[in-house]
Amino acid sequence: MNDARIAQNIADQLSELPSSSAVSLQMSVDNYLEVLRGTIDLFANRKGMDTIYVTSTISFDAIKRVLLALDIDTSRIYFVDCISHAMMGATSAQYDDHTAIVESPTMLENLMLKVEFLLRKSQAANKLVIIDSINSLAIHNNNWILSEFLHILVSGLRAREAYTIILSVEEHSTPELTNMVNLVCDQGVRAGKKEA
Amino acid sequence: MDGLDTILYGGIPRANTVLLTGSCGTGKTSMALEFLIHGALKGENSLFVSVTENSDKLLSNIMPYRFFDKNLVKSGKLVFVDLPVMYERLGMTKPEMSMEEVDLLVAAIAGLARELGTKRLVVDSITSVCYKLKTSEKIRDFILKLSKALSDMDCTSILVSEVSAQSSSYSMFGVEEAISDGIVLMANMERRGDLLRTLQVIKMRGTMHSRAKYVLDLTPMGVLLVPMLKGGSVGT
Repeated sequence: MNDARIAQNIADQLSELPSSSAVSLQMSVDNYLEVLRGTIDLFANRKGMDTIYVTSTISFDAIKRVLLALDIDTSRIYFVDCISHAMMGATSAQYDDHTAIVESPTMLENLMLKVEFLLRKSQAANKLVIIDSINSLAIHNNNWILSEFLHILVSGLRAREAYTIILSVEEHSTPELTNMVNLVCDQGVRAGKKEA
Repeated sequence: MDGLDTILYGGIPRANTVLLTGSCGTGKTSMALEFLIHGALKGENSLFVSVTENSDKLLSNIMPYRFFDKNLVKSGKLVFVDLPVMYERLGMTKPEMSMEEVDLLVAAIAGLARELGTKRLVVDSITSVCYKLKTSEKIRDFILKLSKALSDMDCTSILVSEVSAQSSSYSMFGVEEAISDGIVLMANMERRGDLLRTLQVIKMRGTMHSRAKYVLDLTPMGVLLVPMLKGGSVGT
């Protein structure tokens, strides 16, 4: 499957789901760009949704640069950045109206609070929350608290009829992590085909 | 106040006197202000009695709430009064108040609340007033009489209380907590080097309520709350 097909395939699968769905999106490291295009450009932006992008992997401005390079409109994307402050690089982000900073990826309650804040701020009828990624959150948190966090976050988003996409990188996933995500998600989507 | 109202299964019961207690930097003043602003927006006259901070300075430092409307102050729906000015007018210049002066102060605050038709009142902080009262008897007398006077007016009040971070008590003098209708404890909780702001309702007469600990964030949308994740509890 070529890159454009992978992105379109992700968007098509997401489009079939009702709002308030929670989706586990497993990808290979190589498919990250197609995942961004499929979820944000071909799914959320085309449907007029606001996207709340929670990053604990790379800083929000790095993702923004990638999105701009891919020619994806970022005007409807809000970021919850859990990593910039930990890297001592959050200064510019704090003045960005579309970005909320969480001091550390270990502050999972604050992450939920920032998502809640941005949901309230958004005027859009439909909203998408992307967690990028469960693997990077697992670096900083044990499975017990992470599992509890996912359950509360996803239940809350479901109640607000927002879509949730939890990204996981198959090269870095463990069976425990995969089970944890599957437990709170209604649907699994794969970006690209898993190698035999 | 969405989060707190949910924890209290509907909100602070009308005419209750609630002790909002915690150490510095936990968000007590922001919480108390939000309580008044929401009241004023609903058409309830609201009064902030500032003891420690000049109200002009307080207003200039107010959290840029999206729902705050300066017209609430201009129209008199939300009134700020500096208690030190009131002390001066009442001639209470001594470091310690007499029993008569306690009555005089209660009458002055209650009288002002009555005159303004106040339905929500905040004293920030009751601890500073208590420093002038000195004895447990006078503190008890002051809070009981003030609560009674406000309650008779159907006015819901919040008394902001300051405690040290290490304190296991809910108030500085130990009296305030015993005679309030409700206690809301705000704290800073350190967990693996992260400092979280937390809130817990210890008691609230007249309503069922959650006793769990919540993590809060002070935002332009107001105070937001989420349950504290138990996996991260340090057992305090």
